[in-house]
Amino acid sequence: MNLKISALDYIQEVKNGNVSAEDFVAKTLEQIETVDDKLHAFLSVNEKAVEQAREIDKKIKSGEKVGDCFGMPISIKDNLCIKGSKTTCASKMLGDFIAPYDATVITKLKQQDAIFIGKVNMDEFAMGLTTEFSAYGPSKNPWNTEYVPGGSSGGSAVSVSAFECVASLGSDTGGSVRNPASFCSTVGYKPTYGLISRFGLISYANSIEQIGPLTRTVKDTAFMLNQISGIDPNDNTTIDNNNEDYLSGIDSGIEGKKIGVIQEMIGEGIDPAVLSATKQAISKLESLGAICEEVSLDMVKYSVAAYYTITATEAGSNLARYDNLRYGYDFPVEGYEFNSYISKARRNFGPEVTRRMILGGFVPSAGHAGKYFLKALKVKSKLTKEINEVFKKFDLLIAPTVPVLPFKLGEKINDPVALFLLDINTVTANLTGKPAISIPFSHSKGLPIGIQLLANSKQDKLLLRAAYALEQTVTLPEVPL
Amino acid sequence: MVTEEEIEHVSKLMKIDVDDHKEYVEKVHTMIDYFDILDSAGVESEEISMQEISISNLRDDEYIPYNEKLIEKLKHYKGTYVRAPKMSS
Repeated sequence: MNLKISALDYIQEVKNGNVSAEDFVAKTLEQIETVDDKLHAFLSVNEKAVEQAREIDKKIKSGEKVGDCFGMPISIKDNLCIKGSKTTCASKMLGDFIAPYDATVITKLKQQDAIFIGKVNMDEFAMGLTTEFSAYGPSKNPWNTEYVPGGSSGGSAVSVSAFECVASLGSDTGGSVRNPASFCSTVGYKPTYGLISRFGLISYANSIEQIGPLTRTVKDTAFMLNQISGIDPNDNTTIDNNNEDYLSGIDSGIEGKKIGVIQEMIGEGIDPAVLSATKQAISKLESLGAICEEVSLDMVKYSVAAYYTITATEAGSNLARYDNLRYGYDFPVEGYEFNSYISKARRNFGPEVTRRMILGGFVPSAGHAGKYFLKALKVKSKLTKEINEVFKKFDLLIAPTVPVLPFKLGEKINDPVALFLLDINTVTANLTGKPAISIPFSHSKGLPIGIQLLANSKQDKLLLRAAYALEQTVTLPEVPL
Repeated sequence: MVTEEEIEHVSKLMKIDVDDHKEYVEKVHTMIDYFDILDSAGVESEEISMQEISISNLRDDEYIPYNEKLIEKLKHYKGTYVRAPKMSS
C-alpha cells in the first residue's frame, strides 16, 4: 500500500476497492509510530481511528451513501476544537482542555467521513514561525531533522510531508500555513478572509486569521476547500461562495494572465537560492503564456510592524480569557488575591505568548495607541488600497513564500526581529484579506523552497488554477525519511 | 523612547507575572523599537477602514440550549457558581 498518494488518488483507490479505509488508516498509524519519535508532528493520536475507518468501510460495502472523504486520515492543528478531544494550542495553559464542541470545519469534514488521525504540533497559541515555541517541544523538518519545519502550523506540514496523514488543517494569521508548507515542501493555502468559518478555531487575531489546508497537491487543496468553505451562521465574517467547485476547470491554464512580481519581496535579505527559484518560477509561468511584470507595494516594508502591532493587540484581548478559572490547570484559588492569582496562573504561558501579551497591552494603550496601534491600522488600510490598485491591472501576484531557506533549530529563537522578518512576504495577504498559496517549487542544499502566488479577494478559483499550472512544471525529489 | 518602567507597568496591568523580568523587558523593548519603522510610513492622513457587517448578516438573537453542563468542565465551582479568588482586601 502506498501512503504517499494524494487525497484524490486515495479516494479513487478506496472507491475502486483497491484499498480499504481501515488498512490505510492502520498503515498511517504505523507510519506515525515509526517516524514521529524523530519528527514530533503529533501532540495526540486518535486511538479510535481504525475503528472509525472500519465503520466507513462497512458503509461502503453495504452501498450506503459515503461522504466525499471516504475515511481519509487528516491531521488537525491543535488550535481547532474536536468535541471530546484534547485541544491544547501547544500551551500548558490548555494542557487538560477537552473541547466541548466541534469547530465548523470539523463538523463539515465529519459529515464527509474524514478521519481525524491526530492533533498536531504548533507554536503556542500559533505565535511563532518554527514550532520552537510549542510548550511540548519543537517538530523537526523531515527534509533535515536539524532544521525547523516552519510554523506555526509546523506539525501540519511535517505530518503531510512525512506521510503521517493525507492532508491537514492549519491556521494562517501571518503566514502560519504557507511558511511551514514552504519549509516542508507541501502545498499551503490561506483563503480569502471569510471563505472558511473560524468557529471553533481558538482565537489569536480574529480580524486577519483564517483556517487553511496543507496538502500534497494543489488539486487536493481545491478538494479540501470544497469540503470546508462557505457561509456559517456561527461566524458572521464568513462570505457566501455559492458552493463554488474549486476543482472544476483547475487545469484550464493561465494563458494571457497578468502576473505582478512584488519587488519589495525579492529585495534586501533574500537568499540567492530563493531569488533564483523565484526567477525560474517566473519564466515557467511565462512559458505557460502568462505575462509577468514588476510591481511595487510601498507599504510592504511596514507590513511586519503593522502586523505584529495588530496581532499583539488582538491577542492581548483574546488571551485575557485565560485566567485559570474558566480554562486552566490545577492550581487552587485559596490564599490568593484575585489579580495575583491570575498573574501567577499565567506563568504557564510560554515566553513568546508572555511577550506578545505585554506587547498587546502596550501598543494600544492610552498615550501609545497613536504611535503604534492606530498607525498600524493606517498601514493596513493603505496596503489594502495599494494592492487593490495593483489588482486592477494584474490577475495574480508572485513572490517567494519565505525569503530565506529553512534554518537550524535554535538559530533564530533569541532574536525576535530576525523572526519578524521571516514574515515579510506572507503578512500582506493576511492584512489585506487576499488569498495566497505556497507551492513546493525547488530545493537548495536539500532544503525546500516554496513559491507564493496571491490573487484578489474571492478569486480563490483563479489562484488555484495558476498554482496548479505552476505545480505541473515541477519535479521534486522524495523526502529522505 | 519607551522606558522599561512603562513596559513593567503594562505587564502588571495585563496581569502578567514573570520570573526573569530583565529578559522579558529587553526582548519586548527590542520589538517595540522595531515598530518605530511605522513612523516613516507617512500614513498620518490615511483613514482607517473598518470591516462592516450588516445587521442582516448576524444570526438571530435566540437562546440555543446546550446539552451539557458546561460548569462541570471547570476546575473550581460550587453549585452554579464559579469559584474565584477573593477580590483585593
